[in-house]
Amino acid sequence: MSATTIDAPVQESAPHAHPEHPTSFFHKYLWTYDHKMIGLQYLWTALAFLFLGGALALGVRWQLGFPGAEIPLIGRLLPATVAVDGSIIPGGYNMLVTMHATIMVFFVVMPLLIGAFGNYLIPLQIGAGDMAFPLLNELSYWLYVLSGVILLGAFFAPGGAPGTGWTAYAPLSSVAAYNGTPIGQSLWGAAIFINGLSSIAGATNYITTVVNMRAPGMTMFRMPLPVWSLFITAILLLLAVPVLSAAAAMLFADLNMGTSFFSPQGGGQPLLWQHLFWFFGHPEVYIMILPAMGLTSEILAVFSRKPIFGYKAMVYAMIAIGFLGFVVWGHHMFVSGMNLTLSAAFSVSTMVIAVPSAIKTFNWMGTIWRGSIEFTTAMCFALAFVSMFVIGGLSGIFMASTPVDLFVHHTYFIVAHFHYVLFGGSIFAVFGAIYFYFPKMFGRMLNEALGKWHFFLTLIFFNLTFFPMHNLGLGGMMRRIADPTVYEHLRQLQPLNQLCTIGAIGLGFTTFLFLWNVVMSLRNGKKAPNNPWNANTLEWTVPSPPGHGNFDKTPVVYHGPYEYSVPGLDKDYLPQTERAPEGARLESH
Amino acid sequence: MSTAVLTHDSQEHHGAPPATAKFGMIMFLISEGMLFAGLLGAYFVLRWSENGFPWQAGHAWPPSPDIAHLPLLLTSINTVFLIASSCTFHMGEVAVLKGKSGLGWLFVTIALGSLFVGLQCYEWWHLHHEGLWFNTGGVYGSSFFVITGFHGLHVAIGVLLILWCFLRQLFTRCFTPTHHIALNNVALYWHFVDVVWLFVLALLYYV
Repeated sequence: MSATTIDAPVQESAPHAHPEHPTSFFHKYLWTYDHKMIGLQYLWTALAFLFLGGALALGVRWQLGFPGAEIPLIGRLLPATVAVDGSIIPGGYNMLVTMHATIMVFFVVMPLLIGAFGNYLIPLQIGAGDMAFPLLNELSYWLYVLSGVILLGAFFAPGGAPGTGWTAYAPLSSVAAYNGTPIGQSLWGAAIFINGLSSIAGATNYITTVVNMRAPGMTMFRMPLPVWSLFITAILLLLAVPVLSAAAAMLFADLNMGTSFFSPQGGGQPLLWQHLFWFFGHPEVYIMILPAMGLTSEILAVFSRKPIFGYKAMVYAMIAIGFLGFVVWGHHMFVSGMNLTLSAAFSVSTMVIAVPSAIKTFNWMGTIWRGSIEFTTAMCFALAFVSMFVIGGLSGIFMASTPVDLFVHHTYFIVAHFHYVLFGGSIFAVFGAIYFYFPKMFGRMLNEALGKWHFFLTLIFFNLTFFPMHNLGLGGMMRRIADPTVYEHLRQLQPLNQLCTIGAIGLGFTTFLFLWNVVMSLRNGKKAPNNPWNANTLEWTVPSPPGHGNFDKTPVVYHGPYEYSVPGLDKDYLPQTERAPEGARLESH
Repeated sequence: MSTAVLTHDSQEHHGAPPATAKFGMIMFLISEGMLFAGLLGAYFVLRWSENGFPWQAGHAWPPSPDIAHLPLLLTSINTVFLIASSCTFHMGEVAVLKGKSGLGWLFVTIALGSLFVGLQCYEWWHLHHEGLWFNTGGVYGSSFFVITGFHGLHVAIGVLLILWCFLRQLFTRCFTPTHHIALNNVALYWHFVDVVWLFVLALLYYV
């Protein structure tokens, strides 16, 4: 296992030319071992889920903005478990919330960041021909699809989809009489379990690939930050996801085999579910933001034409975030009757995470400081990521404090907070990364003018949708209520709810602009050169899109990935495969 | 491993180099370890929060005297079979390293593994007969059957994997002193399942 030493380049050079052999449709698009195609499989599937999850969110927003009003156009097509006479019923509202959240977390954000960009970028950026275990990789994708089918199947269960939220708190979730749809809830549990297998397969693959398959000269501290972020994320997945799988299995057993893990009648503990869920759930938060941070770092450095500020500090900060992520789960449970000393400890450990997060934020600012900034669409999204992440991060510090959390817990302040980090953070980074890597993935440029429209409308409508939720939450609006107007203290806030709904509808339509851009650019976008952004990392040294096996011969890496504007060079970038001229002052070594 | 050459073959889906495959297996087993850590952690919470720690006065486990007792002697003997199977598997690997087929040792390992699964099934049947099942005995039954069930499933999968190795070796003699990574990885898995069993045995049966 000497291969696991940090700085040893582990892959000897071996020429491996890859003639394009003809493949059938099935072996090219459906059952492929090529990490790039698997990445694209994840991309398209997750984008489809994004539109579905978004549609569910619009149902939720419609009901909150205009409670009981008939949903225009599609209202009467909805199943009776969700809507009656075209208007959403309270139980159906819970189903929409639950499925929206479950889909967005497990079937959109994770597959986009980790499945799509992880698969596509890791081998290309470390100079490998493919993942360490291509078969496992493809298996991981199909397990993801299978879990998606099972989850959607819950809509057709007698009693409908589960309505217990993505957190599925027991005993609501674990007692059939309470949740009203034991089959739907069981399908949810099964989907989470199988989705977990997919994540574990992917994580095993990523860690092994990064440790064992780097090109000669690609030391750990010469790896691009997206690879670092995905590597750390994979470790979090490997350690956190199995615990959720165990919890999902117990939930399934409680529902179907009469066990009493979570029911007090048999000596079980409802709180046990919360502990197991959040032991997974908090690392999950970082699983969904770390890759977004890595991708953003890459984009910011490229379009500022400057080295990333504090490369090693960025890496150590991500490691610190990953580690601390395992010791803060109790901050989701401050109102669960937890011992106050313990909740103080969780408060402190949570606030400590603000330190590495701030290191990253200041380093991003240091990176763009006095850079020659190119405002491409990708750059705009990356800058928006930093801004929105700061808003979401700051509201996070509020609720890390137990006394504040006792007040805002389970209000729309929380909903605002996690949408700022999950949408304003992760999804903005995903959009940025799609604009950035689309040329490499498909050999065509996305339309920049349409991209700018997409960006500005998304930014405006996003803030219109989610910023007022801070005010709603502080005004006392609880999460997971189907009709705010039945509460007297919320009636005066109803215009804000309608504002959120209008913003959400705008956000939904804006995403079609993105879809239009993708479709039109795929058909007749400008042809992309190998390196349209003049970037340094290895994926830009190969054709767009790269051929089977990625590299004609194994690349040799001479320096770090962020050597932009090196003094004395005739161009403002220096690919990792090019040796620096004598006497050049490099940031990395 | 630093001398391992990433050959054209390994790119073309004929399997990763041995050290890479082994590293991947270890990563997977760490993940499996977290699965059992989650299950056993839940068991601790369920057991200790209501009944106190085992060394405290008034500690009662099983929580009620009506609950059937676990067959300690049978399970202890069964444990010997499982440990022995790890040893025989190791002897099989040593035989392969020496250039022999190792088929005999693998066969004994399969037999011992199957015996373990069989006796565990008998134990389940026996306890069911005595009135202890998933849905009786409260968390006692719940945790016992789900944890031993997860472990038993892992042993059963292990037996199938060893059977797969056995058949491959029988028909193609694919494991040689230089090429035996699949056998290595199955052995790693099998030893892992063994170690997990020691934890399960100590916590569920003895303490």
